[in-house]
Amino acid sequence: MKKVMYLEFERCIGCRACQAACRECGGHDMKERNYVEYIDFTESRQTFPMLCMQCKDPACAKVCPANAIQITEEGVVLSAMEEKCIGCRNCTFGCPFGIPKFDFEENKMYKCDMCYDRTKHEIAPMCASVCPSDAIRFIDHEEMMELRRKRTQMNLIEGKKPSENDKWQYVPEFFGVYSD
Amino acid sequence: MTQFVVKPGVKNLHHEGEKMITTHCCYCGMQCGMHIRVNERTGKVVGVEPRYDWPVTMGKMCPKGVTAYQTVDHPERITKPLIKKNGEFVESSWEEALDLIEKNFKEIQNKHGKNALSVFGGVSMTNEKCYLVGKYARIALGTRYVDYNGRFCMSSAAGGFMKTLGIDRGSTLPWPELEHTDCFFMAGSNTAECHPTTIQWLWRARDKGAKMIVADPRETPTARIADVHLDLKAGTDSALANGMMHLLIKEGYVDYEYVNERCNNFSELKEAVEEFTPEYTSKITGVSIEKLIKAAHIFGRSPRSVVMFARGVEQQSKGVDNVCLYTSMALLRGQIGKFASGVATFTGQGNGQGGREHGQKADALPGYRKIDNPDHVKYVSNVWGIDPSDMPEAGVSAYEMFDEIQAGKIKAMHVICSNPAVSAPNNHYIWDGFNKLDFMVVSDFFLSETAEFADVVLPATTWAEDEGTTTNLEGRVIRIRKVKDPIGEAKTDWEIMQLIAERMGKGKFFPYKNVPEIYEEFRLASKGGKADYYGITYEKIEKNDGVFWPCPSEDHPGTPTMFQESFGTPDGRANLAAVKWQEPAEEPTDEYPHTLTTGRVVFHYLSGTQTRRTQFLMEKCPEPYVEMHPNLAAYYAISDGNNVYLETKRGSMTVKARITKAIRQDHVFIPYHWGKELSVNKLTNPALDPTSRMPEFKVCAVKLMKA
Repeated sequence: MKKVMYLEFERCIGCRACQAACRECGGHDMKERNYVEYIDFTESRQTFPMLCMQCKDPACAKVCPANAIQITEEGVVLSAMEEKCIGCRNCTFGCPFGIPKFDFEENKMYKCDMCYDRTKHEIAPMCASVCPSDAIRFIDHEEMMELRRKRTQMNLIEGKKPSENDKWQYVPEFFGVYSD
Repeated sequence: MTQFVVKPGVKNLHHEGEKMITTHCCYCGMQCGMHIRVNERTGKVVGVEPRYDWPVTMGKMCPKGVTAYQTVDHPERITKPLIKKNGEFVESSWEEALDLIEKNFKEIQNKHGKNALSVFGGVSMTNEKCYLVGKYARIALGTRYVDYNGRFCMSSAAGGFMKTLGIDRGSTLPWPELEHTDCFFMAGSNTAECHPTTIQWLWRARDKGAKMIVADPRETPTARIADVHLDLKAGTDSALANGMMHLLIKEGYVDYEYVNERCNNFSELKEAVEEFTPEYTSKITGVSIEKLIKAAHIFGRSPRSVVMFARGVEQQSKGVDNVCLYTSMALLRGQIGKFASGVATFTGQGNGQGGREHGQKADALPGYRKIDNPDHVKYVSNVWGIDPSDMPEAGVSAYEMFDEIQAGKIKAMHVICSNPAVSAPNNHYIWDGFNKLDFMVVSDFFLSETAEFADVVLPATTWAEDEGTTTNLEGRVIRIRKVKDPIGEAKTDWEIMQLIAERMGKGKFFPYKNVPEIYEEFRLASKGGKADYYGITYEKIEKNDGVFWPCPSEDHPGTPTMFQESFGTPDGRANLAAVKWQEPAEEPTDEYPHTLTTGRVVFHYLSGTQTRRTQFLMEKCPEPYVEMHPNLAAYYAISDGNNVYLETKRGSMTVKARITKAIRQDHVFIPYHWGKELSVNKLTNPALDPTSRMPEFKVCAVKLMKA
């Protein structure tokens, strides 16, 4: 898998289409595995999406006493294997991002698997497919790095470097793409 | 014709034992492209797959779109006709239901005349059906009283565009061009919640440096990302637009070459905006002078700009004026008819554009023809095969039909694809009207709040059980494909109209065997009109990713960008608006000291008949609430989650408080998607715009207290 998930929190509009879409993925049993939270509803309507980071050395898998959490060759951290999961919930406590969820009726954990049935064919996961504001994207690593650089470049005037005290002076009052 | 439409190189996930059918969402005017997944063995709809290659939405969907398919095989679907007996609905056969309708319709017309019947239509239907509603009312029932729920949604935009530009096409430019725009001036549109899949285009432009100016009393998820948020008082849009134009003229941002060549009334406009200095504008709108000036500079200096608006400016007693003024802003900058610039309204209902063009309106005939124009009547009568003298005269607007009920003129109503018991303003009056009717028929696929008042409920199909075309918010005509056969004994709305027409002895005017036959007649009926669909065929839509009207002949490519050469007015020039300030119909008083405004949330659509039956959406937003500023809440000792009692001159309700600084201190907001005791439209003001007859949902005076 050459592509990566790219999150741009500022773009999130809080519509939760990613969560509705997560339920639609085959093998997700109509349960969403991602999160959308308000930063502080009293202050603003800003929300942010949260997905599994697909850690290289995932804490959830490390703390699993039953070795139920498998990692694919592409590096996708899967939900606990049904036949192995003992329902101890270690993974839900171990994950620093609070990603794994627990199904108390079925007594097993479930988590984001980056829609492995889609992504193994290089088809975007459901959340990234539907996200109306591109807050969640499934893109090439190269493109992601380019986007990171672009975001900062957009806020700077060429050749100068802002400091903490005067950074707003460097935000141009107006610049259009096609200004002549 | 192909059922699954995909471009080469685009990958979708195909599940074993399933087929995919390409169509569009049933909800808002974005008409997002999607593939519906159907189990080949059971024939049931099982899910949705993004349509990555649909050029307007690129596979994006909001939560309503993702879950839209869940209403198709929903357990609460009405599957048989229902007849009310002793106050209870009883399942019946079609034969029995139609007998009852025929008997009552004929009796009422014999006793009270032809116009005692009425039809209340809707625009969440295909063009074919919307077209047929007008024909059904005027020929099958022979009544002048037909109107539709677009009066609550789109008619001010239509009226304003007609007056200013001469043709009402929701957007003068195609959506994918938005990517190249330098500035968006958005008024009264919470795009992020009401048309979420547009946001991708705004961000694409923003990534290249485009600016956003948003006018809204609330800091919505749309206003949150704006460069300037003009936090105006609800109902002061005309002052804001005048103030903006005052500054555009003063600062030298007017494109005089364009204005001289293509617009009328500039001197009148200049005179009218003279008094709207930033100080005066700020006093009326409550927006700070600095923000007004900053917004004018950004808008004025942008080489390419789009002025966009929605219900926030249209659902006012001066909605048409607001639309004319905002459109004039774009004209002063010489933007309309050019690449990546222009003016657009966000169509609220799925087919709000197409549905309002083809004769469902009280005074309109197909192709945006007018019923008071003898030539237009003659043309349409010819297509329909009737004598022009048999064409009924113009009726009255949606809300005014309820005045006619109260006056005893309308005795029976057939409601098709609409739920005015929730969506009309001043609910108590509407409910009382339904109770006064001698006979009422509702066609719907769920038992809506309106259907509960009916004597007969006819089971209609969902959008996935019929085919046809719709026209999205750009003016692009697109294909809705049939995904599966109707559930139970449900019939399509066109079949229902056809059956009743037969019973009324007018069957020969409705000889259709399938939808393409209706479409062929409809193309002809629109031919030569302003909204000319004659050159649009199903094949062409499929081949070209939709076709923009007007498209007068089959070799015509359609018209993605409007008004490139001239406007649709008789002299080909746009009419700039010169409008004085006028207060909303209801201003805060000592007794009702605050302003109540209403709107949508991202999880629900219109009256909620469908979305309130969708599990995911109800989990996320189960009930209405009142959004208020912490300072206002503190004044009444209200904490987050407390019950709040709200009252206007027309009605009252109690809802939970949600406290946020993202709203003006003097305003409260309640979403309107719920019925009965949870309906905020019990409180809203039915003050109508003089031209569009659209009620002022967006502004009324309210008092509140902790419940």
